[in-house]
Amino acid sequence: METGQSHVNDAASVANYLGLYLGQDQGVRLGDSVVVSTKAHRRMPEKKIKGQVEILVNADAGQTYLNYVDVDQMVHIDVHHMPGNVDAQKVALTIYWAINDYVIEEDPQLQYADDVRFKAIAAYAEKIHITTNLGQGWLFDIMQNEMEPYIEGEEGEDHVHILARLNRQNYALIYIIATAVEDAIQQSGIKLAEVRNITHGKEKKVMDDFGNYIKLPWKKFKGKDAMLMAPDENVNQLVLKLAEKFGGVEDIEEWMQMYSTNIFKRKGADFQKKKWGDIDHYVKQLEEMGLMQKTPLGRVLTKQGLAVQDYVIKHRIELETEIRRNIRRVPGGRTSRFSKIGQSDQDTTDVQLVNYNRTVNKRDNWTGNMAVAQTVVQAKKNALLRGDKRLSIKKEDLHFYDKKSYIPIDICLLLDASGSMAGEKRQAASFLAQHLLLTGKERVAVVTFQERSARVVAPFTRSQRELTKGLQTINPAGMTPLAHGIMTALELIKNSRVRNPLLVLITDGIPNAALWTMDAQADALSAAANIPEQKLRFICIGVESNASFMEKLAQAGEGALYLVDDLNKENLINLVRYEKKNIVKK
Amino acid sequence: MLKYYAQLERYEGNKALFDMIKMSMVSTIANEPLHIHAEGLRGTGKTTIMRKTQDILPPIVRVKDCIYNCDPAKPHCPVHRGMSAADIADIGIEAIPMPFVEISHSAKVGTVAGSIDLAKLTDTRKPEAGLLPGLIPQAHRGILFVDEINRLADTAPEITDILLDLMGTKPGVVQIEEAGLPVVSVKVNVSVWAASNPDEDPGPVEEIRRQLSDRFDMVCYMGRPTSIDVLARMLKENFHTTKLEPEREQMNLAAIMKKHEEYTETLLRWAEIYRESDLPDFVRNYIARLYVKHNLESIRAIEAMQQGAVLYSIINERDQASINDVTRILPLILQHRMDADSLIRVINDDSKGGSMFSTGGKKAGGKDETAEDAEFFKKEARPLKDLKRKDLINTEKSIDFNRD
Repeated sequence: METGQSHVNDAASVANYLGLYLGQDQGVRLGDSVVVSTKAHRRMPEKKIKGQVEILVNADAGQTYLNYVDVDQMVHIDVHHMPGNVDAQKVALTIYWAINDYVIEEDPQLQYADDVRFKAIAAYAEKIHITTNLGQGWLFDIMQNEMEPYIEGEEGEDHVHILARLNRQNYALIYIIATAVEDAIQQSGIKLAEVRNITHGKEKKVMDDFGNYIKLPWKKFKGKDAMLMAPDENVNQLVLKLAEKFGGVEDIEEWMQMYSTNIFKRKGADFQKKKWGDIDHYVKQLEEMGLMQKTPLGRVLTKQGLAVQDYVIKHRIELETEIRRNIRRVPGGRTSRFSKIGQSDQDTTDVQLVNYNRTVNKRDNWTGNMAVAQTVVQAKKNALLRGDKRLSIKKEDLHFYDKKSYIPIDICLLLDASGSMAGEKRQAASFLAQHLLLTGKERVAVVTFQERSARVVAPFTRSQRELTKGLQTINPAGMTPLAHGIMTALELIKNSRVRNPLLVLITDGIPNAALWTMDAQADALSAAANIPEQKLRFICIGVESNASFMEKLAQAGEGALYLVDDLNKENLINLVRYEKKNIVKK
Repeated sequence: MLKYYAQLERYEGNKALFDMIKMSMVSTIANEPLHIHAEGLRGTGKTTIMRKTQDILPPIVRVKDCIYNCDPAKPHCPVHRGMSAADIADIGIEAIPMPFVEISHSAKVGTVAGSIDLAKLTDTRKPEAGLLPGLIPQAHRGILFVDEINRLADTAPEITDILLDLMGTKPGVVQIEEAGLPVVSVKVNVSVWAASNPDEDPGPVEEIRRQLSDRFDMVCYMGRPTSIDVLARMLKENFHTTKLEPEREQMNLAAIMKKHEEYTETLLRWAEIYRESDLPDFVRNYIARLYVKHNLESIRAIEAMQQGAVLYSIINERDQASINDVTRILPLILQHRMDADSLIRVINDDSKGGSMFSTGGKKAGGKDETAEDAEFFKKEARPLKDLKRKDLINTEKSIDFNRD
């Protein structure tokens, strides 16, 4: 058993290292052919040199491959091999027996206790997901020959792709699994492949290639389908696509102006980037569609581009309606991932409405909206029981329309407008403000803080025009004076007649501009301490990286903290809706 | 003086709505409901156009005084159900205008579905408990119009539930429930017409009640008139002299009425064609393929495509429905059922397989070429078991990139 002994030792030693690296979101190459991490992997396509594998540090393996909600659930083990087909069942069985041996080596007593041993293996086996180029499934299912087919183009083509739900204490199994898979591959007569190198990178967001499927009427299309085209729908959709990026019709007009031949209206890429984030993709798409072209003057709109611009100007009202419609849409499909710390509790007041489709027979008091028809029917029934000669209406017959109530929540968004929020984050926050206004019955206010001060961008309002106008003036730059922001928002709420106010702080940074003292963070905390006095509900939405400060801040404001991986609009909207929904009458 | 149907201005922005009401009227006359919904900004004439169709709706024949509008050929209501032709003949028949019933915002479940008949109940001489059918059963074989349906869906979920039942199947079902009386369920053939402004509170129907929005076979978005001629004509129609001196209008009245008669006759003729018409198999296959290829969510959508394609070809005086008809009505049928992006893909028939008519043999050139690269890994690897412990863990930094 000498080799076996070293086997266990190797596994344990590997486990120690893996704990270290995986804990830091790093991946490793185990031996020559195996890549292990908790992230997604891909080949390096950009580089000429082959055989490199990239570990995508921003793509969690469980989330990417199995649609998990939580991160760091899965260890991702890829065993690479030369071309050839690997039987998933063989892999499954080999892993199963390897774990069996390992369990016995760890605790030799189990050799004689089949049921206990089986239970121990089973606990692991149902947490291991295997994909080879011949099939995929959970280990147990595959062993019983119940597997799903391999899908071409997905993981597993040139490697055996294992996802194992292991916690740190069990990292030794990674080595066991990897060696077992290598055995299975070699026993199939296939050679292992060396991974030349590993690198760490980020997954780029796949940009929507709308230039491909939007067909503009003046572009020549061949074939018999060409006559079936709906020109207006296509132009319309193109504008809506641009609106998604730029925010509104006015913004699209402004942006298109920058490509006019009038030199005075043209503005540089820097300005554009600050306002709308990365727009290169959109420029490229318009070029592809023949709406823009390069000239010695720089890029300008073509004749067709001008036609689209004209369409935008002419159909502004309809387009704006459709954009608002899109803003109202609740982002669905993918679930937001967030963690919530703390709870924001305040008393609520509600508004009572009459529900004309429900009547109640109240015994204790008889005020309210009487339901005549119901009352007569009830009186008739009761008259029969009472033995009345003719119809008479008594107190007990009275029916009233029911009441329903709702809790209005006026929201004040406190937005970080420091430099780091430029581009997409600014747009996401603006989108949130508009979405809240358009989908709710309550008022919305926006306060931003940047440089060394804070300002009210839009006071509590129900007017979309007022809100958008304010939002357009946000131009992120400079430092993060959080204390200023909190105090300005508190002042605004104090001076407005608001119902059940909810203060939502959205920031991606840590305060670095102080208000009263030299310590920006301490100032922010003492500013937040004023929040509970005003009986405000308070939530912070921040990113994982500055969790510890945000937690203190939420505590100081007696509010809740939401941590998200990304301040995108889906996350923001889902969070605020979630919070609103959970405010109930007390 | 209110305008007549024949006087309504037609322009690009409301063409879709006119097409839709024509299709729905033809279908309703032929006894198959077609539910339509017009969405648009205020003042685009949704409600006016829909209400004015009353001018041209043909009459229907029913069993005399039957508030359920029983068809003498097949009576369906609780009173006349199962009666023989002779019995019906005894009662007699009558022609009435095709029902055009409107649900208002103060509507209650009782008035819409039906409720206990208070007049009968409180009759001092002969009190009895009976049901009074509501607006929907009374609209049988006709049209039920719901203005501002988004507000109704928001404020009266109970009535929305009734509409969902009504529109769930063709013919639809209405159930009347009243304490102390047996539950009555009536089959109703009603086309529901709705109008709403998605931009006003409480927002578009699909955000309030997803199912309700899917129940509509067709939806159109109204456009504003953009032509100066059209607008000038509209202004002229509404000029004070036309309004204040109805006599002037009267002079035209005969001409207008004649036009209305023509419209009605056309509708009846179309309905007759619709009863007899069939859809060519290849069009049916095309629709089925659309469903599979674009992963359409709702079977209702392709059923509506089938119904709509035939109707569209008929109102355009074509002998037979073609694929062209399907493409024309696609926006009406799909725009409330899927996001705009996917809709454009369906309309342009763009998806990974290329054109629908291509055999799919050639693959698009843009496929990720690295995935195909079978020789990505060149060097053979040593298995873990042959390695020394110090060689087991390799990090990004520890692997010498520039070796060999």
